[in-house]
Amino acid sequence: MASINEQLREQARKLLADKVVDLIIGYRKGSLPLRSTPYLVKTEEEAGSLIFDLTSSNNLAKYLPRVKTENRGSKIGIVCKGCDGRSVVQLIIEGQVKREDIVIIGVPCEGVVDTRKVRKKTGGEEVLRVSLPVLPGSGGREIMVEGRGFKITLDKEEVLCDVCLGCQHPNPPLYDLFIGRPREGSSARDEFKALEEFERLSSDERWRYFEHEASRCIRCYACRDACPLCYCEQCFVDETHPQWFGKGPDSSDTLIFHIVRALHTAGRCVSCGACVRACPVGINLNPLWVRIEKEVKERFGYTAGLSLEVTPPLATYDENDKQEFIL
Amino acid sequence: MSEEIFKLEKDNLEGFLLYLSQKYNLFLPRRVDDQLSFGQMKPGGKPSLDHYFNTDLPPKEVFFPQRETLLSYEGGEVKHSTYKAKPIALFGVRPCDTKGIILLDRVFAEGEYEDPYWKARRTNSLLLTLGCNAPLSTCFCHWFNLGPFNKEGTDIFLTDIGDAYLVEPCSKKGEECLRGTSLLGATGDDRKVAEEIRRKAESSLSERVEISSLKGRLLALWEEDLWEDISQKCLSCAACSYLCPTCHCFDIQEEGSQEKGERIRIWDSCMFKLFTQEAAGTNPRPTPKERLRQRIMHKFSYFLDNLGEFGCVGCGRCIRGCPVNLDIREVIKAVKSFIVESR
Amino acid sequence: MSEGRKPKTEDQPWQPKIIAFLCTWCSYAGADLAGVSRIQYPPNIRVVRVPCSGRINPLFVLKCLQNGFDGVLISGCHPGDCHYISGNYVARRKFAILKTALEFVGVEPGRVQFSWVSAGEGEKFAEVVKKVTYDVQQLGPAKRLVKPR
Repeated sequence: MASINEQLREQARKLLADKVVDLIIGYRKGSLPLRSTPYLVKTEEEAGSLIFDLTSSNNLAKYLPRVKTENRGSKIGIVCKGCDGRSVVQLIIEGQVKREDIVIIGVPCEGVVDTRKVRKKTGGEEVLRVSLPVLPGSGGREIMVEGRGFKITLDKEEVLCDVCLGCQHPNPPLYDLFIGRPREGSSARDEFKALEEFERLSSDERWRYFEHEASRCIRCYACRDACPLCYCEQCFVDETHPQWFGKGPDSSDTLIFHIVRALHTAGRCVSCGACVRACPVGINLNPLWVRIEKEVKERFGYTAGLSLEVTPPLATYDENDKQEFIL
Repeated sequence: MSEEIFKLEKDNLEGFLLYLSQKYNLFLPRRVDDQLSFGQMKPGGKPSLDHYFNTDLPPKEVFFPQRETLLSYEGGEVKHSTYKAKPIALFGVRPCDTKGIILLDRVFAEGEYEDPYWKARRTNSLLLTLGCNAPLSTCFCHWFNLGPFNKEGTDIFLTDIGDAYLVEPCSKKGEECLRGTSLLGATGDDRKVAEEIRRKAESSLSERVEISSLKGRLLALWEEDLWEDISQKCLSCAACSYLCPTCHCFDIQEEGSQEKGERIRIWDSCMFKLFTQEAAGTNPRPTPKERLRQRIMHKFSYFLDNLGEFGCVGCGRCIRGCPVNLDIREVIKAVKSFIVESR
Repeated sequence: MSEGRKPKTEDQPWQPKIIAFLCTWCSYAGADLAGVSRIQYPPNIRVVRVPCSGRINPLFVLKCLQNGFDGVLISGCHPGDCHYISGNYVARRKFAILKTALEFVGVEPGRVQFSWVSAGEGEKFAEVVKKVTYDVQQLGPAKRLVKPR
């Protein structure tokens, strides 16, 4: 059987040749080991560079509204792993893109690598070469990383992103064609497992954690800009009349920025983890997002990005919503 | 400059740092939560020099903090703030970053306009540069005629030769500083070892790209489609700018109330849409294309016009930190190889 | 805000400063009724009248906490009573998430409280203010999310 990459390229060429799509948003090999890079394919020749593997970590749904605006009237193909596909569903629900304007190319995702975890494993040494297990379902779990004077084999589970370890939706909920076969089953680990440790902490301990993480923030907004659902024309943090919060690295300002971003993505966030991976200083505020996702699920029975038919929970209401917290 | 080169045994490093911290407000590479950045030396503190290639954040923040109070007011009384502590010393700064500080000197201290806040910190400061025995694959300082052992702008240059550092004064300030120590001279053998390390490091650098013609190319290609292709994946965040040792744009804001508050200076970036947003509603750089082009043009063209040198030192932080792997080396190569189609 | 931050002294104990966002149709009228009925309640609240509890942006709450308010009270019409039919229903979902987020990052649960108070519930309004003031008093001056000035 042809490899995932070969199948992906073949299908992409075909879609372009048959004029089913005018362009395809996908990944190609990046300039660094363990990195792929988003790639806009316009020709059949370019389609030959498409890849999908454990390094395909960006959420490509981010580019949909922009590519759509810049290429009016075009039909856009997009390579979607589970979380990208769920983001696309959210974008459609929220009226940012039209279903009929896009062709979703589903890919079976086995998780993506957290380069910071790898860095920890190598003790900070630079990774120069890697060899990844072939996707999908090859049963390959070993990732070999090599650098100056070392060569180690890592188990996939050791270096996948936290969100991937608890992923319940490895396949896009909606697709027009699928490369390979959709993955069967989901992660054995509970999607809210990462929270357990946090929920055991006292309020004081959680505060210390979050304040510390926020104090490291450099306000580059990579998290916001990598998030497919942060598409506001103007972010609240960029408003100047009034200016809501300070724009410096003060930990109160930074933490409030992150809290509000979490509130704004409540009931919409698909837990792709793109914000965590985008952070150049390695801040991990994901527990806050997961906590809100859990609340949304328990309170409103909603999981984001699974169906086009459901109204997002924060855009609607139920007269019988629980209100135990209201005096 | 003296020809003297000294030798500092690593066992004596602590004492040497203590000596420095008596005279200086000493900053050194410190690892916090797996992140390396320059931090103030605490009593009994040690630099994080294991697996130290370069800090994740550039040392510019020591002289140009991300947030700086310019003045404060309370009840009608205005206080201007200036840096008043001991002069600053940076230990273990890499040659590319030393060059970055020198470039920022040109911007903040040597041009038509002087920045008193930069100068207050930078005056009498001491740079102790540590040569790079093992440059990273993302290092491209050699494109700019710098290198892992470039001594430009430094006061004291250190070479790690295993269990000791070779210590070479490179300025009057450096010489004076070392005069207060009891370091012994390095032997000819030590120098040979250092020379070998330097040769090895330089030969390990990746392929060098000739960039002398880059400025002309950039100006000629300003309006080409090339920028659309390059910027296609750019998220327009400021990770590159804030990780860059030479990016220095800032914004001035007021924080507080009528009675009490501060005027502050914070980092800003040309990658933000807000950077060029005009009050009337128009924006001359409305999309990532114009903003990314601006950043590249500034580094490789405008910097040359204004200060006679490239505004990039090849530290590679933006390559390592970019969330979409937009590699500045590939941008340069794309600019070089772009063929203008006749219209 | 400065008096709220003053240290506790014998003759001038610390008193919490609490901001209350009241919907104009119900809770504000309820507060009014408490007033004209001469029902006593602690003077620690500063009232901001808003058209509807649905108008209350979580940014208001965060801004108040940042600026040093020791407590925030949000009050609107009972479910089914909203002048705009569904403003308080939508707000209720928003508040549930806001409360979850604030408590999860470590802001004490009593700092931000919510209530439904109708125009006829002067008594209830006074009770709510008493409870919130008491809770915040127990917590002491706000420290978390406060931006030092």
